[in-house]
Amino acid sequence: MASYILRRLFGLVPVLFGVTVLVFSIMHLSPGDPAKIILGPKATEASIAKLNTQLGLDQPLHTQYITWIGNVFQGDWGRSIQMKMEVLPLVAERFTATFILTLASIIIASVFGIGAGIISAYKKYSWLDRSMMFMVLIGFCLPVFWLGLLLQIVFGLNLDWLPISGMYSAGQDGFWDMIRHLILPAIALSAGAGAIIARMTRSSMVEVFSQDYIRTARSKGLKEKNVVLIHALKNAFIPVLTVIGMQIGFLLAGAVLVEMVFAWPGIGTLMVNGILARDFPLVQGVILFVATTYVAINLLIDILYAIFDPRISYK
Amino acid sequence: MKKYVLYLFMTVLLVSTFLMGCSNDSSSGSSGGSAEEKNNLIIGLEAEPTSLDAHQISDYNSSRAAMEIYDQLVQFKDESTELEPDLAEKWDVSDDGLEYTFHLKKDVKFHDGTPLNAEAVKFSIERQTDPNHPFHDTGTYAYAEFTFGQVASVEAVDEHTVKITLTEPFAPFLGNMAMHAASIVSPAAVEEHGADFTKNPVGTGPYKFTSWSPGVEIILEKNDEYFKGAPSVEQLIFKPITEAQTRLAELEAGNIDVMVNIPPDDLERLRGNEDITMNEQAGMHVWWTAFNTQRAPFDNVKVRQAVNYAINKEAIVDGILQGSGEIANSPLPPTVWGHNPNVTNYDFDLEKAKELLAEAGHPDGFKVTYWVPESGSGMQQPQAMAAAIQSDLAKIGVEVEIQTLEWGAYLDKVFVPADQNDMDMHQMSWIGDNGDPDNFLYILFSGAQWPTAGFNDSYYKNEEVDELLAKARVTKDKAERTKMYEEAQEIIMSEAPWIVVDHEKQIIATSSRVKDFKLHPTGVFRFANVNIE
Repeated sequence: MASYILRRLFGLVPVLFGVTVLVFSIMHLSPGDPAKIILGPKATEASIAKLNTQLGLDQPLHTQYITWIGNVFQGDWGRSIQMKMEVLPLVAERFTATFILTLASIIIASVFGIGAGIISAYKKYSWLDRSMMFMVLIGFCLPVFWLGLLLQIVFGLNLDWLPISGMYSAGQDGFWDMIRHLILPAIALSAGAGAIIARMTRSSMVEVFSQDYIRTARSKGLKEKNVVLIHALKNAFIPVLTVIGMQIGFLLAGAVLVEMVFAWPGIGTLMVNGILARDFPLVQGVILFVATTYVAINLLIDILYAIFDPRISYK
Repeated sequence: MKKYVLYLFMTVLLVSTFLMGCSNDSSSGSSGGSAEEKNNLIIGLEAEPTSLDAHQISDYNSSRAAMEIYDQLVQFKDESTELEPDLAEKWDVSDDGLEYTFHLKKDVKFHDGTPLNAEAVKFSIERQTDPNHPFHDTGTYAYAEFTFGQVASVEAVDEHTVKITLTEPFAPFLGNMAMHAASIVSPAAVEEHGADFTKNPVGTGPYKFTSWSPGVEIILEKNDEYFKGAPSVEQLIFKPITEAQTRLAELEAGNIDVMVNIPPDDLERLRGNEDITMNEQAGMHVWWTAFNTQRAPFDNVKVRQAVNYAINKEAIVDGILQGSGEIANSPLPPTVWGHNPNVTNYDFDLEKAKELLAEAGHPDGFKVTYWVPESGSGMQQPQAMAAAIQSDLAKIGVEVEIQTLEWGAYLDKVFVPADQNDMDMHQMSWIGDNGDPDNFLYILFSGAQWPTAGFNDSYYKNEEVDELLAKARVTKDKAERTKMYEEAQEIIMSEAPWIVVDHEKQIIATSSRVKDFKLHPTGVFRFANVNIE
């Protein structure tokens, strides 16, 4: 197991290297000049050239890349062109907000998704199954920004139960204040993922329920609860776990829209503004950070397989 | 097993949220108390400010937050672009228009307690203009060239006297000294924080910096020692809320007091809401469609005039902009002095348009491409407006093909030398800086300002206009300058290098508990005199 993890960790190096090359190339080859965007249409040729020199953008591309990657390894991720702050602390702080949102969403999505999936599979082809799967279909189809606006209007504006947007109330920074602000965006973000998890759980459970060992378990008089939650679920869980792992990645990326709608201070808005401003160091930093997290989560999921299914070993 | 995974998630969630809480505790200092209790004003901005260092600002969101922290030598009067003393109590201009001597107010202190003096003024300008200045490397100065392009030297004559010498006479210079880049910053603070001055700004203004939690809020606190008297509102809290509908919901729920950029479709509803005050004023802005005057078919003045007559501006302003703009009849907005209302007017007239097209040799019209950005600073509703212009022109047989680009790529495409420009028509807008007509007319129409040297994006050239505009910028007498600008507008409008469409109104919604809030044509907020009921 340890050697497997080590091997996988080494495997991350080329992946992340590829990511840096790709991001760097896409950003630098896309049209639009950061100096021109910072200075606005009002810039003169001379001031653009001056700013490009100051930002090091007049150097050949490969030199810029080597300088950047060299600095990254030394912990210096550069200074955002647009925000004028150091990239690493900025990305780290904003990423924490995205991470909290993603995590809360995946918890909501998993609890409701797995729950609905089990009930649906257990009551296969009943009206309960059909209505649940219909709800799931709706959850999957709703655009997150629309659902977000709807939640804001109903629970924020009309009922006044929860805050409409932001992460904290003005001038405050308490933990429970943050949790109150987290509820609506987390629900909005979890709808799609919850639907996919529910469908996967249902189909996986339906398959397991038809197997012989479940019949055996029932015939030897085990409680139905134990049959479903222990014997069936554990074996149906591997594909569900894979889907959850993939959804975490999608949620990290998909959080952008929810963050926009809820003014949640995550990396989404940071990245969109960074791309529009051609803020190379910032966008590169964000993508590198997200990519690293994504591959790390995938690794974690792979390790979890072994825990759930002893037949899987990584020798 | 499911429980096991849940516990794992829960633990990570709790740990990370606590970490978040801790890191915020340290950065934002004191907290607690609701908005009402603390006599706070919460402002919903469209995006997060990118800098609180006045010298590095190039966008509205930043200047709206940062300009409360600083003062300049001179300032614009309330609701106008006329100038009045600020940190300088008076100033003299030499007869040749080259030397400006400013006499500073005494006993003004920065928020860090250091005194405002001539050296601080010199520092604030030279930090931006002199590449060898020890603190030049602490930032990128988008507006330095524009604001101080004519400055030859800055001299601290004595503790409270500064002499600025120009390379050439330049009448709009005094207006530049009221702009954000001309803000006087505390040299001690720049020396202490270096490039992080943007996160630790220190000026002399009515509010001083308290905290900045990226993406969450910026808090400013009133400066009790402000030399013009302490403001009445205790705290200003700026919150970035990107999504307009969210900002609107927060305003309607009473969670924010000031809202910028209201979606045009919601204006009518808000105007009828008693809890909300709508503040509206035509800003220093103009939106136009430029013709490429160096290429057929728009090298022919009759074609340009014909197209101008074919545009129904009223439909655009009322239908698309929902009254958030004012129909323009000159490139110079009426809020700027020198505006000439008596110029050639292109009222919607399809018959006249067809007539002119026939005279120009295009009785059956022609086909052109029209470049449009997806969005952009000051661009209002670029795509909807383009579609309206497209359908208007179809009525006179001009077939318009719209090509849409993302803003950054668009700017690259538009501002190229005339011989490389293969477009026929494109959209652009301009937001004035220093309230001087030169800032619109010279930059947008002088033959010396063709891209990439400047902003004359229609490649317009007229000897007479060039001469008038060049002379006006070195003339000291304002009445004389006014005459020249009026004449220039007449010629420009008769030659129609643009379709001038509208001047965007600044529309800021405030909750009705906010009193004495006044809009300023520059778009910067002034909260020093605002009261809360």
